[in-house]
Amino acid sequence: MRRVGLSLALVVLLACSMVASVRFGSVDLGTADVLSALTGVAPPWVRTIVVDLRLPRALLGALVGGGLAVAGATFQALLRNPLAEPYILGISGGASVGAVLMLATGIAGAGSWTLPLAAFLGALLAIVLVFGVATASGRGMDVRVLLLAGVVVAAFFSACIALILSVSEARTVQSAVLWIMGSLANAGWSNVIVAAVYTLPATVLLIGLARPLNLLAIGEETAQYLGTDVERVKRLALGVAALITAAGVAVAGVIGFVGLVVPHAIRLLVGSDHRALLPLSFLAGAAFLALADLVAKLVLAPTEIPIGVITAFVGVPLFLVLLRRSLAA
Amino acid sequence: MPVDRGAATLLLYVAVLFVAGCEPRGESADLASSASGRVVTDADGNPIRVQPPARRVISLVPSATLTLGALGAEDRLVARTDFDTAAWVGSLPSVGGGLQPSIEAIVAARPDLVIHFGGPQDVQTPRRLEDLGIRHAAVRPDRIHDILDMVRFLGAVTGRDEAADSLALSIESELAAVRRSAAGRPDVQVAYVLGGDPPWVAGPGSYIHELIEMAGGTNAFSDLERRYAAVSPEEFHGRTIDLILLSRGTVFDARLAHGGRIVEVSPDLELPGPRVAASARELARILAHVP
Repeated sequence: MRRVGLSLALVVLLACSMVASVRFGSVDLGTADVLSALTGVAPPWVRTIVVDLRLPRALLGALVGGGLAVAGATFQALLRNPLAEPYILGISGGASVGAVLMLATGIAGAGSWTLPLAAFLGALLAIVLVFGVATASGRGMDVRVLLLAGVVVAAFFSACIALILSVSEARTVQSAVLWIMGSLANAGWSNVIVAAVYTLPATVLLIGLARPLNLLAIGEETAQYLGTDVERVKRLALGVAALITAAGVAVAGVIGFVGLVVPHAIRLLVGSDHRALLPLSFLAGAAFLALADLVAKLVLAPTEIPIGVITAFVGVPLFLVLLRRSLAA
Repeated sequence: MPVDRGAATLLLYVAVLFVAGCEPRGESADLASSASGRVVTDADGNPIRVQPPARRVISLVPSATLTLGALGAEDRLVARTDFDTAAWVGSLPSVGGGLQPSIEAIVAARPDLVIHFGGPQDVQTPRRLEDLGIRHAAVRPDRIHDILDMVRFLGAVTGRDEAADSLALSIESELAAVRRSAAGRPDVQVAYVLGGDPPWVAGPGSYIHELIEMAGGTNAFSDLERRYAAVSPEEFHGRTIDLILLSRGTVFDARLAHGGRIVEVSPDLELPGPRVAASARELARILAHVP
């Protein structure tokens, strides 16, 4: 019952946050303007703002937020570590190296796809490196090695970023830092399509793995005894969660806290059954990031605050309240 | 290994997706070939049609905004950035910063030309303007001749060629006068500090370097490999520097001066725009008083 109630509440919240994201922006448009833009009768500039800027941005926020939350929940189950979050395998570092390289060399200006593609390839490089180390023994994937390799690879990539930035022009450094901090400001329909193509099927697939994930969260041996093909589930789920993260980071930069805080919050509310945890995390992550983006673009409009600042400012107190309540109960 | 095979398949998948999303950037090239009127080249090498003159301009580059003002084209501006501080732009709506501004605010101002930073400083903004079909042009006032090019370029795109020519000529003649007046003065080793810790200094290839040399000084950091770079404090110890220039409000560790004088200059000096000749005169005045 609680799950049904929470699902309904989250769906309503997500719908409201999407509507608000399209309704409000740095430019003051009236509700009538927005509606006429959606029905195609508004002046071209109003249509551009609503249809080409706000709508894709709202959708991208929901897709990236939902994807990061599901990826975070999956990593926490598989690595059996409450501190696990989507970027723990060095994915953000790899993506950032790709993006910063494009910005520093100016190649990013060549087309709207160059920067996300480079970020995505950087993220894949990190995944391949980390998974390669973790499976090197040939006896299956050791999650402790995976974690350690992830941390080390991330450290290496941040050194690469520091090197690239130290030989770049001051203003390039500023652009790169803005990208690394994460933002939905560059949302366009092509980004939305890329994010949707990765995030939606991957989320469905992970929800399909909810039962084996439940068993794996208890322990690999237990899961094995109960008939789960542990290695297969682990590789599939880790690979898919890593790809969701890579796609998210490619289109929106590194957005912290969503993948860590949202799954924990949902777990505190409905328990750790992944059949409920994963879909609810998706809804909550989507609504959370869409709302955080709304705040990021409105507070100092037209200047934008990095969205990671908002996710931390809102996410952390909310999470601490939930944590306190769950301990008191 | 299943993971690697999966990764390879996905790599292919993503490559297909991204290439599918790639649109050819053909508009500016088309302009060059199809336009019947005059075409000028912006700082990024893109051809920009001159006719009709831009009537609704957004300048994301503060020095270009000042230049438009100096050309008498201030009534063409329809928005400003948070970094434009002149009183005559104050009433315009802001689009945020000059780098990565609010695209939504730009669209709402309905510009027919957006002037942005050229080169690798902000590659996202022109790309997004291109995607939305908004005419845009790059300026890059790195050196003094770039400033003069910018003046003439902005004159051309706003239909104020004559004003631009006369402004450029007066800047050139005033700079020549500064150069003449400073000739034969004893050499002064000058460092221009932009702030930061370790301090950023102006190197060769910057208009500030040119201004120092023009005003009778020698840039103590003329061996840098970049226009502006952060240098180790050690570099200040190892060099003879008679004069350290910094703009008002710049934080600098005075212990690095080693007996060299520290003089504050007008913040205008850091705006490579129409006041560049006044900045040259200011430097010449300061250098004349250094023994």
